[in-house]
Amino acid sequence: MRPMNYIVPESAEAAVAILAERGENACPLAGGTDLVVDLKHAPGNINALVDVSGLEEFRGIDETDEGLRIGSMVTYGEIMEHPVCIEKTPEVVAASHTVGAVQTRNLGTIGGNLVTCVPSADSAPALMVLDAEVTLIGTNGWRRMPIEDFFVGPRKTILEPCELLAEIWIPGHTLGKPSSFYKFGLRKGQALALVNAAAALELDGDRIVEPRIALGAVAPTPIRAVKAEALLDGQVVNAKLLDEAAKISVTESKPIDDFRASRNYRRQLIRTLTRRVLERSVEIARERQEKDKLH
Amino acid sequence: MLVELTVNGESRSANVPPETTLLKMLREYLGLTGAKLGCDVGDCGTCTVIVDGVSVNSCLMLAGRADGCDVTTIEGLATADELHPLQQKFEEHGALQCGFCGPGMLISAKNLLDTNPEPSVFEVRDALAGNLCRCTGYTKIIEAVIEAGEMMNQEQATV
Repeated sequence: MRPMNYIVPESAEAAVAILAERGENACPLAGGTDLVVDLKHAPGNINALVDVSGLEEFRGIDETDEGLRIGSMVTYGEIMEHPVCIEKTPEVVAASHTVGAVQTRNLGTIGGNLVTCVPSADSAPALMVLDAEVTLIGTNGWRRMPIEDFFVGPRKTILEPCELLAEIWIPGHTLGKPSSFYKFGLRKGQALALVNAAAALELDGDRIVEPRIALGAVAPTPIRAVKAEALLDGQVVNAKLLDEAAKISVTESKPIDDFRASRNYRRQLIRTLTRRVLERSVEIARERQEKDKLH
Repeated sequence: MLVELTVNGESRSANVPPETTLLKMLREYLGLTGAKLGCDVGDCGTCTVIVDGVSVNSCLMLAGRADGCDVTTIEGLATADELHPLQQKFEEHGALQCGFCGPGMLISAKNLLDTNPEPSVFEVRDALAGNLCRCTGYTKIIEAVIEAGEMMNQEQATV
């Protein structure tokens, strides 16, 4: 690797200030599982790394009145071990488990994964179906937005220069919401998703309430299948309806043809995976109803 | 920059350029050549070491990030008198052929057994998913890890 300056800022504000002062030659460093590889092979004009991985403001997992706060510099390994995540956001844990392998999950952070912003980012669909929001800190202070708005294009986020992803928030009303995540890759370990899908919904009797469907690796960014959601909203659940929603979600996607899979194969995967995550979410919601009846 | 580590229980330090990876520091500054440079991009796992209780690809971690941390490398497994149970079982099973993946396989397996002394086959496969062997296969490695876990549990029971 070419000579680099390595800077450990004392606070998030200090990190932003250092990045602003140094301009485009400085780059924030999170887990390094993507950036360090890039620096070895195509460093561009980067000559300084601002290591934000240990910053207090970006660390920790806390449950508050507002919901669950996950610091952007929390690693996938930490999410998988955290009792609150395991209990209240099992599908975020499941999605985390499908990222890379043990060693990369122990280095790689959820925020780093979102900032890298590849269409196949595994955590994205699982967070989107829980209506997650993100907070950012930059030279103009803090701002907050739905996670969908954070993704702009392949490897492109809404972050301004010198702005950093600080936190991911999962609102209280979606914690524990019946949800399901499914990733299809060519292998179980160390493989990018050909398609990944997540769903979340509640059941009011037999009616679907607040359905959410999110898909990854099917468009320039992770997407919500809003037309499919609209079809499900308020309807009585049945197998045909779920398959119809899965079919619509295919029309909302724009999968690519590449060496991993053809467009047509991906389309079939989208339908199958969407149907499966919907069916599984319904199953979980039903189990919940049964349990509530007993109490 | 000065980086101070505890490596296999010993305090070690070196002055390294800031862009130095932990792997390079271990191999070229501390003379610990057990962890290997394989793919250098975090896919193959032969550079795996344990940092503060979790296994990482040392080729992707800057040495500065590990400053003040407790590091275990393959050199920390055996004592002068005795191989670690994992090493004994790998030998018995013929789990390695060329051996290049060995340091990473053994460290990943140790990290698994430290937290889960009785892993299932699935759990071993999952724990070793980031360690590639291109010689022979994984079956004997998996058998060796499971037996090493049993051996360590028995040893603990008799202490």
